[in-house]
Amino acid sequence: MAVLPDPRHRDVVGLVARLLLGGVVLLAGLLKVGHLETSARAVRAYQLLPYDLAGVIGYGLPILEVALGLLLVLGLFTRVSAFVSGVLMVVFIAGIASAWARGLSIDCGCFGKGGTIAAAQTQYPQEIARDIGLLLCAAWLTKRPTTALALERLLFPAGYEERVHA
Amino acid sequence: MTSSSASRKAKIEAATPKGRAGGNGANRAVVAAVVVVVVIAAVITAVVLGRSDKQQATTAGGSSLPKGASAMGAGILVNPGAPTTVPTLDLYEDFQCPICAEFEHRFGADIVSLADKNQVRLVVHTLSFLDDNLRNDSSIRAANGAACAADQGKFLPYHSANFGGQPLKEGAGYTDADLRSFAQKAGITGAALQSWQQCYDTKAHNRYVVSVQTQSEKDGVNGTPTLKLDGKTLDLNGFTAESLAAQVKAATK
Repeated sequence: MAVLPDPRHRDVVGLVARLLLGGVVLLAGLLKVGHLETSARAVRAYQLLPYDLAGVIGYGLPILEVALGLLLVLGLFTRVSAFVSGVLMVVFIAGIASAWARGLSIDCGCFGKGGTIAAAQTQYPQEIARDIGLLLCAAWLTKRPTTALALERLLFPAGYEERVHA
Repeated sequence: MTSSSASRKAKIEAATPKGRAGGNGANRAVVAAVVVVVVIAAVITAVVLGRSDKQQATTAGGSSLPKGASAMGAGILVNPGAPTTVPTLDLYEDFQCPICAEFEHRFGADIVSLADKNQVRLVVHTLSFLDDNLRNDSSIRAANGAACAADQGKFLPYHSANFGGQPLKEGAGYTDADLRSFAQKAGITGAALQSWQQCYDTKAHNRYVVSVQTQSEKDGVNGTPTLKLDGKTLDLNGFTAESLAAQVKAATK
């Protein structure tokens, strides 16, 4: 990280990454959490999982996203939250790429809705590009989870100091 | 700062366990455990609630099959007189779906004519998935109304009246009175209208309606309108009455 020799600058980069990743994940969760049956349908539209398992994922994923998004926005357990979010992004990218490769015409269902749409309305490249951007944020935060304005800095000052000066 | 106070401070720091919170911080492990437990509990609650909601919908109302439906989950066969040599045209629609209404407006008459001439076996699946999205219950009530109309031999006229009366704003939904007016427009009058109303009020076919939605999901129908000709999904890109007629002809034995 020779470009940013001052750790405080890297903390600010971390803050931006945290708010971007956390904000998008939180929004995605909130938009789906009141429409669980629609969320399950969006998962089924990928035609990758058995009916019942797709339902379980569809019901459970929005809450998990809300939780991860909140933790990231607050800056609490940043490393673990970013790592789990990164794993989710890899899964999302693989799912969207697979739908694209199989010639399905679906909305990714990332922010609610989902399901089959007209072929001309599919946005696979944009959806994958967005998730790659978020994956980069997750990678940064997993490698360097100390960020500015993080709640964990306030709650666990001892541990935080150690990591900053490590 | 004297040298003795500095060494005392160093001793205190050395005595503080590494990786744990200092005197003025919260215990990281405890907070982490609480967060993990809360998140897991919330996810499990959502899954259990989601599944039980679906269970409840499946067991509400009556379980009788409407006329034209051969089994739970099967669509309504509009023209049972059609020979088995003609292809089956499956139509999946939700009464609250605006594109379905547009599709009906443009191609409804062509499809009805194919059924009238027994050139296809027309099977209509009335779905209700938009209720969850639009936060109402208009799709499932409209599908119940259509099933009750099928009992009176007026499925297609009701179907057409219902799409014709779709509100301009998606999600505005249908009142019970709206649905009754569609039944009337479909030509259900007098004693037949009374039967329709009784069927609708008791939701005699509700479990059937739910089963159609569930079966469509299992059959990979994830959007509406969906058309299948002998089980093969038709591309609605550049779809015309002529292209449909040609494909029907090609599929006729």
